[in-house]
Amino acid sequence: MKWKVTLALSLACAALLFVLYRGFGQDPHEVPFMLRGQPAPTFALKALGTGEVVSLAELRGTPVVLNFWSTWCGPCRMEHPTLDWAFRQYGNQVKFLGAVFEDTEENARAYIARAGSPYPQLIDPRSQMAVDYGVAGVPETYFIDAEGIIRDKFVGPMDRATFATRIRVLLGPSASAELGK
Amino acid sequence: MNALLISLFLSASALTGAYAPQQAGSSPLEPALEARVQKLGKELRCPTCQGMSIADSPASVARAQLDKIRGLISDGKTDDEVRAYFVARYGEWILLSPKAAGFNWLVWLGPALLLVVGFAVIFRQIQRHPLEKKSASPASAADEPVERELQPSASTTPEDDYLKLVRSELKR
Repeated sequence: MKWKVTLALSLACAALLFVLYRGFGQDPHEVPFMLRGQPAPTFALKALGTGEVVSLAELRGTPVVLNFWSTWCGPCRMEHPTLDWAFRQYGNQVKFLGAVFEDTEENARAYIARAGSPYPQLIDPRSQMAVDYGVAGVPETYFIDAEGIIRDKFVGPMDRATFATRIRVLLGPSASAELGK
Repeated sequence: MNALLISLFLSASALTGAYAPQQAGSSPLEPALEARVQKLGKELRCPTCQGMSIADSPASVARAQLDKIRGLISDGKTDDEVRAYFVARYGEWILLSPKAAGFNWLVWLGPALLLVVGFAVIFRQIQRHPLEKKSASPASAADEPVERELQPSASTTPEDDYLKLVRSELKR
C-alpha cells in the first residue's frame, strides 16, 4: 500500500517539475510568431509624402521587407541606418516598405525629412494593419517571399549581419549564390 | 525619491519625444455591441503590459487591438471568431484564461485536485484511531509522559534494567 502512495507522490512531483520546467524555460513576455508560413495579410495604404497607395497584392512576385517603426521608439531610430544600408544592398531584389506604428503623420514626416528614407513609408491608420500582422511592439520586421508568404520576423533593432542573413534566406539559395559573388 | 525619479523620467521623455502620442480610438459601438467589445477586451492580454487586459490597458497597442475588435464585431463576426482572429496572430498567449483543452487541463484541474488530495490526507489523519497510531509507530512511545511509562503493564518486563534505574532515580 505504501509503495502506491510513494509512487503517486513521485508522479505528482514529476508533473509539477515538468510544469515548472516548461514555465521557466520560456519568456512569459515573448509573443509567439504565429504567421510563419502563412499568407501575409493584405493591405493598401497611403505612402507618407507622396500619397501613393501601396498594395501588397500588386507586389506579388517580389519579396517584401516590411518594417514597423515609430518616431518615439529609440531602437527604431537606432535601426534606421541599417535599413538604409540594407536598401542600398538589396533594394534591387527586394521591395522595402516602412509602416508607421502608433504615431502621427506629422511626427513621421518631420523625422523622415530629417533622417531621410529611400523607400516608401506607409501610414497605417489606428495601426489596424499592424494588428493584422500580430505586431506587439516596435521595431518589428517581416520578411515576405515573392508568393506573399511570411517567411520570417525579427523583433527589435537589426544589425547588418542579421539583416543580410535573413535577406539571403528570403531570396533562396540561387539568389544567395548571386549575392555571394 | 521615487516620485522625483518618475517626474524626471517623464520630463525627459516629454522633451525627447520618447512616448507614443495619444491617438483617438474608434467611436464606441451601440451599447449591446460595445459591451461585447469590452467583454472580449477583458479576455485578451495586452502585449506590452504586465498581466493586464487590453480593455484595461492605457497602452497604444492595446487601444489599436480594441479598435480591431470593434471593426470585427461591426463586420458581424461572432465572439469565437474574434478570439480566433487574435489567437491566429498572437497565439494562445493572448488569452488571459487559457483554453480548457489538452495540457491546459492541468492548469484548470491542478489546484482543485491538490485541494481534494489535501482534504483526503487531513480526513485520513483525523479518522485514524489513536491506538492504531501507537501501534503503527513504536517510536512514539518515547514521547508518552514518564508517569504513564512508569505504570506497571504487560509490556514492561521485570527485567527492564533501564526502568528500574529510572524508578530508583525518581525515589531519591
